Amino acid sequence: MLMPKRVKHRKQHRTSLKGKAKGGTEVAFGEFGLQALEAAWITSRQIESARIAMTRYMKRGGKVWIKIFPDKPFTKKPLEVRMGSGKGAPEGWVAVVKPGKIMFEIAGVPEEVAREALRLASHKLPVKTKFVKREEIGGEINEG
Amino acid sequence: MAVKLEAKPRNDLKKSNTRRLRKEGLIPAIVYGHEKEPKSVTVNSIDLLKTVRDEGRNAIISLEVEGNSVDVMLHDYQVEPIMDKLIHADFYIVNMAQEMDVQVPLHLEGEAQGAKDGGVLQQPLHELLVRAKPASIPEEIIINVTELNVGDSIMVADLKEGKGYEIVEDPNTTIVTITAPTLAEDLDAEPEDEDVEPELVDQKGNAEEVEE
Repeated sequence: MLMPKRVKHRKQHRTSLKGKAKGGTEVAFGEFGLQALEAAWITSRQIESARIAMTRYMKRGGKVWIKIFPDKPFTKKPLEVRMGSGKGAPEGWVAVVKPGKIMFEIAGVPEEVAREALRLASHKLPVKTKFVKREEIGGEINEG
Repeated sequence: MAVKLEAKPRNDLKKSNTRRLRKEGLIPAIVYGHEKEPKSVTVNSIDLLKTVRDEGRNAIISLEVEGNSVDVMLHDYQVEPIMDKLIHADFYIVNMAQEMDVQVPLHLEGEAQGAKDGGVLQQPLHELLVRAKPASIPEEIIINVTELNVGDSIMVADLKEGKGYEIVEDPNTTIVTITAPTLAEDLDAEPEDEDVEPELVDQKGNAEEVEE
């Protein structure tokens, strides 16, 4: 499971999920990508689950890039505990994803295989997504 | 022969006007370069896309602004990532006699032998930096990969110098490589312990301070 090796603080504020992704909106390493169309917290378990779904489908071929990293801790209060008395204990790690972010990239497989692998991966994620290809202005228009 | 593209001057630079233009299918653009004052213009988004699709990313475009025609190249552009719409373009006025550095797309041709044998073809470099006069900029550079086996790669140094252009990219940059396939065991590698909390950066620092 992905998580930071060292952190400065154990707990963080939640912060808002407004706006669009500032960077990482283009396919940079591979040929195909999975782009988020909504904002959400993606947990390290969801990322791992999506990665396994993709690599299992692609078997031995191709290469996968995970372009998001769960560097934000989230906390949870124990069950049946009254409100107050401070913030809960760290429970896991999430990546903050905003619309437009390319979360996964694939290369070295035909388009049909990449499309299906990313479709399987998208079912593990809490956001609407779209399949995108390496951008070339004036080239084939990406599908919605 | 440069392709023609019509542009209109843009004097109202307010955000509200720019939004209105985009709704009408136009995009704001700027023309600059070759000792000329920058000028704000608008061009038709679809016409620009068609021109680039037909003539290539580095094509010389004859931009007509108020009856004056200037030779330009599409220097930069911005795309709205979610809707995939062109939102701004930069046109660079070229001097046909002067060499310039441009990125030329690299395309692979054929199916590599290594890929047929189970290897994974990877292309870390998709665009090559070349120096050429505007008229001799190649539309694309095609690389034949049919003879590549697993472990083989093509570097920039392996490319032959083309007609009228010089390769500026670092010769040690890898363009394409065939890597060995991933072992099946690696694919479902068991995740590490979840409950381990990461080390706190400050803890160490504080501990040292206390000791002092």
